[in-house]
Amino acid sequence: MLHEPLFSSSKKMEDCLAKKMEITVSEAEKRTGRNAVNMQETYTAYLIETRAIESQSEGQCAPVDSLWRRYSEFELLRNYLSVTYPHIVVPPLPEKRADFVWHKLSADNMDPDFVERRRIGLENFLLRVASHPVLCQDKIFYSFLTQEGGWKEMVNETGFQLKADSRLKALNATFRVKNPDKRFTELKHYSDELQSVISHLLRVRARVADRLYGVYKVHGNYGRVFSEWSAIEKEMGDGLQSAGHHMDVYAASIDDILEEEEHYADQLKEYLFYAEALRAVCRKHELMQYDLEMAAQDLTSKKQQCEELATGTVRTFSLKGMTSKLFGQENPEQREAKIKVLEEQIQEGEEQLKSKNLEGRDFVKSAWADIERFKEQKNHDLKEALISYAVMQISMCKKGIQVWTNAKECFSKM
Amino acid sequence: MSGGAAGAPKSLPSSGPKSLREMPHPLATSSSEEMGPALTPSPDLLLPRSIADKDLSLPNGTPVDTSSPASSSSLLNRLQLDDDLDGETRDLFVTVDDPKKHVCTMETYITYRVTTKTTRAEFDLPEYSVRRRYQDFDWLRNKLEESQPTHLIPPLPEKFVVKGVVDRFSEEFVETRRKALDKFLKRITDHPVLSFNEHFNVFLTAKDLNAYKKQGMALLSKMGESVKYVTGGYKLRSRPLEFAAIGEYLDTFSLKLGTIDRIAQRIIKEQLEYLVELREYGPVYSTWGGLEVELSEPLEGVSACIGNCCTALEELSEDMTEDFLPVLREYILYSESMKNVLKKRDQVQAEYEAKLEAVALKKEDRPKVPTDVEKCQDRVECFNADLKADMERWQNNKRQDFRQLLMGMADKNIQYYEKCLTAWESIIPLLQDKPETK
Repeated sequence: MLHEPLFSSSKKMEDCLAKKMEITVSEAEKRTGRNAVNMQETYTAYLIETRAIESQSEGQCAPVDSLWRRYSEFELLRNYLSVTYPHIVVPPLPEKRADFVWHKLSADNMDPDFVERRRIGLENFLLRVASHPVLCQDKIFYSFLTQEGGWKEMVNETGFQLKADSRLKALNATFRVKNPDKRFTELKHYSDELQSVISHLLRVRARVADRLYGVYKVHGNYGRVFSEWSAIEKEMGDGLQSAGHHMDVYAASIDDILEEEEHYADQLKEYLFYAEALRAVCRKHELMQYDLEMAAQDLTSKKQQCEELATGTVRTFSLKGMTSKLFGQENPEQREAKIKVLEEQIQEGEEQLKSKNLEGRDFVKSAWADIERFKEQKNHDLKEALISYAVMQISMCKKGIQVWTNAKECFSKM
Repeated sequence: MSGGAAGAPKSLPSSGPKSLREMPHPLATSSSEEMGPALTPSPDLLLPRSIADKDLSLPNGTPVDTSSPASSSSLLNRLQLDDDLDGETRDLFVTVDDPKKHVCTMETYITYRVTTKTTRAEFDLPEYSVRRRYQDFDWLRNKLEESQPTHLIPPLPEKFVVKGVVDRFSEEFVETRRKALDKFLKRITDHPVLSFNEHFNVFLTAKDLNAYKKQGMALLSKMGESVKYVTGGYKLRSRPLEFAAIGEYLDTFSLKLGTIDRIAQRIIKEQLEYLVELREYGPVYSTWGGLEVELSEPLEGVSACIGNCCTALEELSEDMTEDFLPVLREYILYSESMKNVLKKRDQVQAEYEAKLEAVALKKEDRPKVPTDVEKCQDRVECFNADLKADMERWQNNKRQDFRQLLMGMADKNIQYYEKCLTAWESIIPLLQDKPETK
């Protein structure tokens, strides 16, 4: 049974890849192979199928292309996109390991239900990227979908790993930024809070599911005891027996109900991980701003040094200044040379600062545009998720009413 | 069949006094005549027994001396069976309500108001209103058991409650007990024999019950011979199949009820644990709503919705605890007391058989059966008849009670889901609302 993608198309979707190409992750297969250190490993491979949409209007179905990818390749793709487009809130991958499970769900990565849900999550990821106005145009992404061999080499050749800022990995390290853009500070705070609240929600929801399962299943015991009781009754027997059957139906119904609810949990999880992506963008801004401020500070101090050397006044304490005082001043030639070097550095620094400033402003502008796009998407998707959750609850209530009404009728015939 | 007392009623195949020679030896298997199919607990409507025996006093619609062990009341039983089923001829109504707490130096206790409305001649006034406490009900039940040993006396709610675990003065406990006491009296009221019992009358009417209680004790000691029916000490060789079947039925029945009680308790426990989690779940949506702008109202809506479901669930669990479980337990107690009556019946039959055997061993050729053996035989037959009649009544009432109880359980669950359904349906428009349309 193919699930609906986790999100429905937003109205503002531009002319992106998703419109031109049908993308599905249609199958998952267990594989064994040898890993980097030549040890045998088991992993799951996913089949990506693509088909051009345009040609369908001609009454013909375009051929389906397909290739197999494993989770680590998806990770590589995502890392590449994050580094290459730091101002974009990059769609997240489904979770690597099963988290927020309630007791009946398996935490095993090889469990077929987990694999199935991951398959859906990966398809959703590809559709998200393909619908993004900027990301969908990326060549590496296109190759991921269409080029089986040599893709990994292609990605590594882009040298994106070198561009990656290792400081981003230290999530909680603080950088004293004097003038951050307030909007990003607030947004970072929001993304932290969002992660916290969705985690809490998912944890409690798992416990709620556990308990609800218990309530329904215990009712199954009524089925057995009513049946046993009906054996010793004359007139009451039939009514009891058939009511017992309905209790069994009731107890069994919870399995489907909770399976459907997992879908809702997955929708929430996507935004839990999206919050992380959002935070990453804010972090990048923070780091950019920090670098900018450091560069500006460095330039200022160089200018100061220059001035001091030129005028001979020492305004600020420096070890060099003290040593030169103690051990004698330099001669004018030496001083001239120093000033010349500093002036060159200052010029360089000013140009760098200029470009950094420009870079910073561009970043803020394009990041904010994508953030607005993301906000709208988030509000739309979460509203849909809440509606579908309410619909699930309504369906559960109606089933409950149906079963108990049936049971009541059986009791009335006792 | 009404007022068949004057005519010549058909006798039961096994009843009626016969000469010793005609009478089958009680140990002979021909006593199997009495039996019906093995698992039929509901005997067919009984035909009036022979009333040729001189020890019985004929009921002419006037009250029978029901304190006598000889159950001519059994005849009344059957005569009034029709009236019993016809609600319009009800002439006695009893209600238990208005619990009140009394605080005295020695103890604190609850009394209940017992209201009676009647047109029966046995009552001096058409209406009575008295206050009674649990020990008064307990006294009544004991008296009924003593004076009507051949009948099934309804159960009382449990006497002892573990202090500290249950609050004897909580509204829920008192209300549960009140309902059970009300049911107790109503069952007696509906019984064609028990409702005419003298002690029952006094219970309903006396201003000072304690004085009567003391008087009763004195009377007993004066009487010398106990009113107690059963002599005891005799062992029955085999229970007639009919009553064995009833015994087996009661065993299985109370076993199944015990299981249902445990299941119901387990469900309530699971529901309460579910409720604990829900109580944490709802507010998280609210917290989230506080972070958002456009999603604020939808999230608050979901939070409130879950809150409503919590309330509905709480009500369901309370109802099941207060209305469902006590009735189950009542029937378990009922079964226990009924099994005791069966044992008493066995003893009466055993006594008769022993005495009969003793007579049979005497080689004298007697023209008539000795009187005390005859009396024993009557006792057995009266007991059997009363018990069968009561069993049938009990089966009918049981069926109605359980039908009502289980339909009630289904109803409560339906109501719970309906409340939740309303809550969730009402927030759909809220969730779908576009901010521009506001």
